[in-house]
Amino acid sequence: MLGKGLKRKLEQEEENGVMKMSCPQEASPACYWLQRQTVLNLSLLKLHSRPGHTEPGLARWVLITNTLRRIQDVPAPQFFPSGVETHSEGSLTPVSGLEEDRHLFLCLSPSISRQQPPSSSVIKDSFTSALAEIEDLCPTVGITTLFSTEMGRSLTSDPNSDESRHTDPDLSEMDSSMDSASSLSDSAQSLFGHTPPLLADFSLDDFLLTEIDSLLFDNVPCGSSLSGSSGASKVISMVTDDLVKTLAGYGNGGISQSALPSNQTFKLDLNELDHIMEVLVGS
Amino acid sequence: MWSLCWTYSLNLSSVPGDGEGQSRWCLSQVKGAIDDDVAEADIISAVEFSHSGELLATGDRGGRIVIFQQEQESKNLPQGRAEYNVYSTFQSHEPEFDYLKSLEIEEKINKIRWLPQKNAAHFLLSTNDKTVKLWKISERDKRPEGYNLKEEDGRYRHPSSLTTLRVPVFQPMDLMVEASPRRVYANAHTYHINSISVNSDNETYLSADDLRINLWHLDFTDRSFNIVDIKPANMEELTEVITASEFHPLQCNTFVYGSSKGSVRLCDMRASALCDQHSKLFEEPEDPSTRSFFSEIISSISDVKFSHSGRYMMTRDYLTLKIWDLHMESRPVETYQVHGYLRSKLCSLYENDCIFDKFECCWRGDDSEVMTGSYNNFFRMFDRDAQRDVTLEASWENGSPGCSLKTWRVCAGSRRKRSEIGVDCLDFSRKILYTSWHPQDSIVALATVNNLYIFQEKPN
Repeated sequence: MLGKGLKRKLEQEEENGVMKMSCPQEASPACYWLQRQTVLNLSLLKLHSRPGHTEPGLARWVLITNTLRRIQDVPAPQFFPSGVETHSEGSLTPVSGLEEDRHLFLCLSPSISRQQPPSSSVIKDSFTSALAEIEDLCPTVGITTLFSTEMGRSLTSDPNSDESRHTDPDLSEMDSSMDSASSLSDSAQSLFGHTPPLLADFSLDDFLLTEIDSLLFDNVPCGSSLSGSSGASKVISMVTDDLVKTLAGYGNGGISQSALPSNQTFKLDLNELDHIMEVLVGS
Repeated sequence: MWSLCWTYSLNLSSVPGDGEGQSRWCLSQVKGAIDDDVAEADIISAVEFSHSGELLATGDRGGRIVIFQQEQESKNLPQGRAEYNVYSTFQSHEPEFDYLKSLEIEEKINKIRWLPQKNAAHFLLSTNDKTVKLWKISERDKRPEGYNLKEEDGRYRHPSSLTTLRVPVFQPMDLMVEASPRRVYANAHTYHINSISVNSDNETYLSADDLRINLWHLDFTDRSFNIVDIKPANMEELTEVITASEFHPLQCNTFVYGSSKGSVRLCDMRASALCDQHSKLFEEPEDPSTRSFFSEIISSISDVKFSHSGRYMMTRDYLTLKIWDLHMESRPVETYQVHGYLRSKLCSLYENDCIFDKFECCWRGDDSEVMTGSYNNFFRMFDRDAQRDVTLEASWENGSPGCSLKTWRVCAGSRRKRSEIGVDCLDFSRKILYTSWHPQDSIVALATVNNLYIFQEKPN
């Protein structure tokens, strides 16, 4: 909540982002992308959070869902580090965007042709492969890395990235997480009553994965690997810090705690994180 | 709840000269507790003047209704300030439990609408999310006394002991105001009721929820007619909901409803029993230069009100007030920016849910001015004739009673004058959602989170 006299850094950045949003075609793609991600995450959180024991408002649900659809309909900006093959036109999204958006594509609009993440075909050199692996881990970091190739280079030598998940995790990840989260999605369905089942599944799973990804992002030692220390990276990590804290605030009031750590700072070991992933995916 | 009622005594002679930044409005009364720690149940959720303006009703989240009455004596004094004092308090709605869905039904009063007065009693409709109720508020200032049918202790005397029958006589008593529920209109809405509106025929009224509008006859609670149904066959295709609805003030066959996509549909009940096909569609094309992710949310109609003349209609969306000529559907005839400086803050307002706030709006009795609320306990008045607008603050701390309210201006950067406030300093937890304008006089009532404020215009 914006208090009297308090300025929020996130708002400062968003103000810049949103000001540019007024002319999206001319907007800095990075700011636009950041805002797009922010709105996406917020929308997912809102769809999932339940205020109290009363029936959730249908009007609010419709507005948030339409906002999500709007985000999805607007193509992600064409912004790649050099070396990645760019896709044509608006229907295909860059690799960095596919981790988030593919769930949207598959669940929200089955009519839209499924774009398989051509990770294998697109990635041509070691840099972009490392980039894709990192983005598997944390799409929000993907945003950060887009800012300077210097940061990207330092990421390739990041030892954490080697422990990342298997190369083509997304499909299997999504399927198994859907299974394990089916009980949660059932409860979400009953909670929303007339929520279309796909959307309930989608929002839950995407929420789970989104939060995990944000947790992972904070875990990546920003100080060491993103040691470019450029102004942009500092700003972005500040912004995403705020966002992560916001997500934490929402997450604690959200779904069952068995799937997510609660009331903690997000300094998780990768081991702990693997454990969480096992809970979600495996058992 | 109404533990403290602040009524300022007004000293008109000390009103200073009208300088810059002074409006012609002044604070008359503040009702409600003054401490910041207000119970959830006490939060006001509805404000409505009666058709004569003599009564002012407020509803709160605890399901209670408090009715204030204008003091008749002071009203007739020259330059008299009409004071409103508590007339009746009653519990309108109770919390309920929907056993089928295992969900609570809030007792919060969503809307209050008065019926035109036909006799000594007053009638109003009040609604929560699911049930509409008709309340009769009547006065009793006499009671019959002199029955000889009872013993001293109240027991009835044996009939054989009675030899005479004494006719009772009405004796004056202390005024007692009684509120009794005369009708309960239940089980007609699957979704949350957002609007009720009494028809000009004074026999029927409509109630609107997110997807349907029902027509009721005031006398019958066991049946209602569905006149609008926008529920899609497949709920997954749902993209638009009804947000507000109102009957035309003069034509009993006409009503409008606003939607979450920013359009207003006018329907004629003579055309067909089910008014899914609108007669007119009022929609302004989106300005591509202001397009954002939040374009739809901020275009959602939060309130729609006909002018008293019936010729115009006003809609409120998140950032603007629009006045429509009912003869022109393509665009509004007037657009007023309520708080355009929030356009760059939409992402934050989405995050803290303020973007979903539903502000009401109201017309002055002669339709020359309109008013709506904003954040930081600001409210805005727009003079249609003079094309002037003013920002005032509902605050019992700043500004003295009887003196002109200071006008405010919100600036983007840091403030340079005392009458300015930076947009980053606005308090978004203090908002004015509910406003009502006296039908004849220059008196407005509005609700902040904690309190009810009554303002009056200075006489010249």
